[in-house]
Amino acid sequence: MHKNRLGAYLFSFPSFFLTAALGIYPIVWALRYMFYDYQGYGEPRLIGFGNFARLARDAEFWQSVANTFVYAGGKLVITLPLSLILAVILNRKLKGRHLFRAVVFLPTIFSASVMSIVFYLIFNSYNGILNQYLLELQLVSVPVDWLGASKAMLTIVIIAVWGAVGNYMLLFIAGLQSIPEEVYEAASLDGVNPAQRLWYITIPMLGPVLQMIVMLAITTSLKGYESIMVLTEGGPFGKTEVMYLYLYKLFFPLTTTGTSVQNIGYGSAVGFTTAVIVGLVTWLYFWMSRKLNNLY
Amino acid sequence: MVMNLSRLFARLPAWLLLLAVSALMLFPIVVAFLGSFKSNLELTTGATFFPESWQFRNYVQAWTQADFASFTFNSVFVAVFVTVGTLLVSAMAAYAVDRVPFKGKKLFIFMQSFTLFISIGAVVLRPQFDLMVNIGLQKSLWGVIIILISAHATAFFMVIGFFRGIPKDLDEAALIDGCNFYSIFWRIILPLLRPALAVVALFTFRGAWNEYILPLVFSMSRPDMQTLPVGLASLRYGAGAAVENQLMLAGACISILPLLIVYLFANRSFMQVTVGSVKG
Repeated sequence: MHKNRLGAYLFSFPSFFLTAALGIYPIVWALRYMFYDYQGYGEPRLIGFGNFARLARDAEFWQSVANTFVYAGGKLVITLPLSLILAVILNRKLKGRHLFRAVVFLPTIFSASVMSIVFYLIFNSYNGILNQYLLELQLVSVPVDWLGASKAMLTIVIIAVWGAVGNYMLLFIAGLQSIPEEVYEAASLDGVNPAQRLWYITIPMLGPVLQMIVMLAITTSLKGYESIMVLTEGGPFGKTEVMYLYLYKLFFPLTTTGTSVQNIGYGSAVGFTTAVIVGLVTWLYFWMSRKLNNLY
Repeated sequence: MVMNLSRLFARLPAWLLLLAVSALMLFPIVVAFLGSFKSNLELTTGATFFPESWQFRNYVQAWTQADFASFTFNSVFVAVFVTVGTLLVSAMAAYAVDRVPFKGKKLFIFMQSFTLFISIGAVVLRPQFDLMVNIGLQKSLWGVIIILISAHATAFFMVIGFFRGIPKDLDEAALIDGCNFYSIFWRIILPLLRPALAVVALFTFRGAWNEYILPLVFSMSRPDMQTLPVGLASLRYGAGAAVENQLMLAGACISILPLLIVYLFANRSFMQVTVGSVKG
């Protein structure tokens, strides 16, 4: 075995240094400033838990948390079953399955912000491409207000599903390939129909893989805000404001509002709380899904 | 024959679902591509599918007037250096961690996974930016590049995964033949890792190419530093001037085209990355 400790330190140093300086330090920085009153200029003032007291009363923040759950919930409820079904179909020896996989996976390689621009032109309420088609085909008589207060969240969820299905389909396919063929053969002898096969064999047999995939889906969807930022900036009337976007606004200005509400101390407290919320949800999910892990 | 027909009917719902999903997946991309050749008027009122007349000048206009030449240059610059840097930093660290027992190794691995799981969102951008101001890199894309390289935990774990496929006996044999720690890395490990690193490179390049928030923050007071996603999104809230939709679509196509071309030839590798990054 190698004895070259010095070499090992030299080789891991760049990675260590970058991670410490730009990955860990910013977190420590936030852990400090969340106890301060600091707007980005002047002298930071220690105020203890003042920021958290304000946070508890910040209706806008809690609304954004609620919106996050609506967004993440909507995305998951459509994405996971759809991608599982697609995975089951495309895991069979179907003609053209590789082509279909490639097509379904295609959206995941593109930038969320770039595709959001395209989706903006498609869903635009006044002269959007989708509305033009719907009017032309006389499916609607007045343009649908896709990005208006009542439908914006739905539109955002549709776009998020579009970008995510391919990813989870692929992960499910990888999971499915670990299920031994004999199980299905035995089941088909017992005369099991496809729905039963999915519910009683495939899903339980996926077990830990399913647990991992769902956890990944939950955390990813709770953290997503890029496409919302480009598409609606949280509007209209805060209807699509999610917690990580709310957080962003406490540090950097957006284009439409222009004015910055920068508040570093408060923002750090919000960032900490947001991370805790994600952590709690993940932990809760793990606790609730522990059965999945025991099945094997 | 009867058998085949009944099988066909049994599979019909599956086929319909596949076709419908595929159509929905391709719709925005096809719309963007065809729309990028339409005039603004046709795009906003035409309800056409194919362009009435193909406006190739949209691309010329986007490239010259809307600064997409500069956005593209910046994107290529960032993505290339981030990919090279990430590969180097993670391959070196993975080599040390996988092959040498050293004090602090556990802590190092913990640190890497910690950054992977904890996310406090945009908060980190502020201290990161301040650090770059301190070393004078906030006014160049190098600041963006360094910060993106620093987020190499996923790449690190992917490379470590590939290291398991390289037997340690090889190192031993090379040691006996007179190689040392460094030459083993350059002469034996790196060449063997090449196919694996290509996959990690694809993953990293895609991430850097698509990155939006970080270059946005850095280019807020410096439009000349905008990358493709940033420059494109800024057209959405175009300052004053009438928004020209056809330029937005041409720009969108410019920014998705390179990945699309790579995807056409290497979509299996793309998929391998996705599965690999989760399996670790």
